[in-house]
Amino acid sequence: MEKRRLEDNQSGAISWFKENWSNNALFSTVFALVVMVLIQCVVMWVNAGSFGGMFGKMGMAWLNILRNNAYQGVIALGMCFIIISGGIDLSVGSMLCALGAILMYLLAPSNGLLASLGITGPLAYVLAILLTILAGYLFGQLNGALIAYGKLPPFIATLGTMKVFRSVTQQLTKQFNPEIPAGFKLIASAKVGGQVVLPILYWVIIVIIMHIVFTRTAFGRQTIAIGSNERAAKLSGINVNSVKRRIYALGGVMCAIAAVIYIARIGSMDFANAGNGYEMDAIAAVIVGGTAMSGGRGSLIGAFLGMLIIGVMNNILNTVGVPTFLCDAVKGLIIIFAVLLQKKESA
Amino acid sequence: MEKINKSFGANNVLQDVDFKLSTGEICALLGENGAGKSTLMNILGGVLPADSGSISLDGQVQSFASPVDSLDAGIGFIHQELNLINDLTIYENMFLTHLPKKRVFLDAKRMQEKTRELFQRMNIDLDPCAMVRTLDASYKQIVEICRALMQDASIIIMDEPTTSLTEPEIQRVFAMMRTLKEQGVGIIFISHKLGEVMEICDRFTVLRDGRMVAEGKVAETTTKQLAAYMVGHEVLSDTNAEKCDYGEEMLRLENLSDGVHFHDISLSVRQGEVLGVTGLLGDGRSELFQTVFGAMNGGKYTGRICLAGKEVHMHNTHQALDSGLAYLPRNRKENAILKDMSILDNGSIVYLPRMKKRGFIDQAMQERLFAKQVDDLRIKMGDRKDLITSLSGGNQQKVVLAKWLISDPKVLILDNPTQGVDVGAKEEIYTIIRRLAAQGVAIVVLSSEAQEIMRVCDRSLVMFHGRQVGEVSGEDMNEHNIMYLATGGNQKESERV
Repeated sequence: MEKRRLEDNQSGAISWFKENWSNNALFSTVFALVVMVLIQCVVMWVNAGSFGGMFGKMGMAWLNILRNNAYQGVIALGMCFIIISGGIDLSVGSMLCALGAILMYLLAPSNGLLASLGITGPLAYVLAILLTILAGYLFGQLNGALIAYGKLPPFIATLGTMKVFRSVTQQLTKQFNPEIPAGFKLIASAKVGGQVVLPILYWVIIVIIMHIVFTRTAFGRQTIAIGSNERAAKLSGINVNSVKRRIYALGGVMCAIAAVIYIARIGSMDFANAGNGYEMDAIAAVIVGGTAMSGGRGSLIGAFLGMLIIGVMNNILNTVGVPTFLCDAVKGLIIIFAVLLQKKESA
Repeated sequence: MEKINKSFGANNVLQDVDFKLSTGEICALLGENGAGKSTLMNILGGVLPADSGSISLDGQVQSFASPVDSLDAGIGFIHQELNLINDLTIYENMFLTHLPKKRVFLDAKRMQEKTRELFQRMNIDLDPCAMVRTLDASYKQIVEICRALMQDASIIIMDEPTTSLTEPEIQRVFAMMRTLKEQGVGIIFISHKLGEVMEICDRFTVLRDGRMVAEGKVAETTTKQLAAYMVGHEVLSDTNAEKCDYGEEMLRLENLSDGVHFHDISLSVRQGEVLGVTGLLGDGRSELFQTVFGAMNGGKYTGRICLAGKEVHMHNTHQALDSGLAYLPRNRKENAILKDMSILDNGSIVYLPRMKKRGFIDQAMQERLFAKQVDDLRIKMGDRKDLITSLSGGNQQKVVLAKWLISDPKVLILDNPTQGVDVGAKEEIYTIIRRLAAQGVAIVVLSSEAQEIMRVCDRSLVMFHGRQVGEVSGEDMNEHNIMYLATGGNQKESERV
């Protein structure tokens, strides 16, 4: 009798788990993150040599995970919208680089555009940020227009603009190596309690805003509708072309914000390499976060958690001392595993 | 084929159907949609097994477990959707199933020779090396028939081969059929177009509701007679008694053509009126109203669309929505269901942009508007937040209807509104349509079911091959007349396009 009750309880817990696993898209992502953090705890415990020492190590590790992934994390939010709509944007890394160049060109204290107009100080910073966001919006609109009106597959259109953004930026910045006003750097590098935490704050705020946009606006719902069944969306009177343009423009705006945080944190940019591979990091975060590559299903919170999972994994691999070259292999395997899980769920 | 029976679940699709075909004969297989024609042919083609009954070829009983068995026995099935590979040459397509090889390489020379030989025998002027992509629909049809012949087919089944062809193309296929006949091949010709049957066939067999109801020689019958066989003699008089006074004219089309799917269509619907538009598969009615709704052709059409007396050039669907049009598409799954979204979101997606409070969706308003439709349409569901796919077909259709009714349309176009819906829900949808009309909505119902048209419409246009060929109302609106018009019965030979 007692034994049976125990079994009932057990199967109750298992069925609760199974039900959530298949019905709640975020559940498996949260579960994966919890597992990763537990592994991380063990690794840190061993690394620190004592249970007490683990906490300090974990704190530092998390600070680093959060602030080092803030740029990709913000880009991943735009990417998440795009993937949910059934598209993809390969140009985000190059766009970050191009937008970084624009921001620096506007800001440089000696030869920058705003300085030459006599605008300096906080007003210049605000103007530069707004203009960079505007540029990101226009770049995204360009991607969106190619896809919506040119009827190009998103993969092809953004592969093209990826090359264009990168190469034009490199050509135009050949003789250009501006410095950044110290005041501007404070936007991301100012220390709070002895630590650089502002990028984390920006990231979290943008996650919340984007989540609300996604769940509470007609635009968010229309994005899912297009990813779920584009033909039905069109036949429901949705202006599919316009929504698509806005989705890619949003992706561009996210790149602009990422560029602002990047420049303010690092203070410079290597135009040949900055943002290289960010598109893949962003896509990986979105997919690990439970968003379907085929569109229609997904979550912004998932993209955030996905980025954290990848960050924690990197941290574990570094701490354990896995050779740098092998880290990417592990990352690749995790992504494949995440998508295999998704497949199982839908089947 | 003797005493063929087939049922799907409790649904008896075929009951004791006999069918015979002699060599060198073209036999028409006729019947309305759902009469069992395709099922019968799928059994002969080995696609489906029969529950009982037997198939004999040249007096020998056969059993086909798969399409390959059937093909080996000499039965070639030309499906409505052609099975050719566009990016290969004709001769490669001809030998696709058994590519001849010389050592490891393909024996291109032999394939070309054999293809050329067959084409000569059939009087076909085609280069075996041409790409299939470059051929028009009729030649593709011919290549597919030749492929069946290449595998020594003695019986060819053609499932509505002419629906997507133009008149000269049809004549080309007919010429091919005549050549085949002379060479002793038996052809089963499935078609809705009675004129074509009269022209090319020797005998006919008519199925209705899974039974063989008539057979005979084509020379001894008329199109009127055939139409009568197809619908049966008992004509239902289940028309609407309730007539209401019509209000203002809401939608008028003048000489609308897109040059491909429909030509020279003029019609008018008034407030409170239910206009039917009927015809058979491929008559262009869906394309016509998708164009009116801005979902097709992107505004490239000639003629005029007038809404409430004002001319509108319709470019896209959101413009149509803004001008008070609503369109419930056919094929719910492909065209209407957002499978990843909840019932509530599916039901309010049309009107979402207008349910705004400071840029965000006004959720209270969304729920209120949807709840009203749930009551009005009596939608049965679990939680509003469940996925739309958790509902039955009838309730899904009501949700799709609800999303349009929330937008309060002036003109409601319903394309096959009861597709994939069970009988009870069908009746409910009819009641809803009549109620909406009584509330002053101008309604257009597109359907190929004559009974549906008779049940809900005040009057009905009949289309045939993209043209309006007649209008029926009152006493005249019966299955005989509709079928007669829909099969092009009143069209002169020269006008049949």
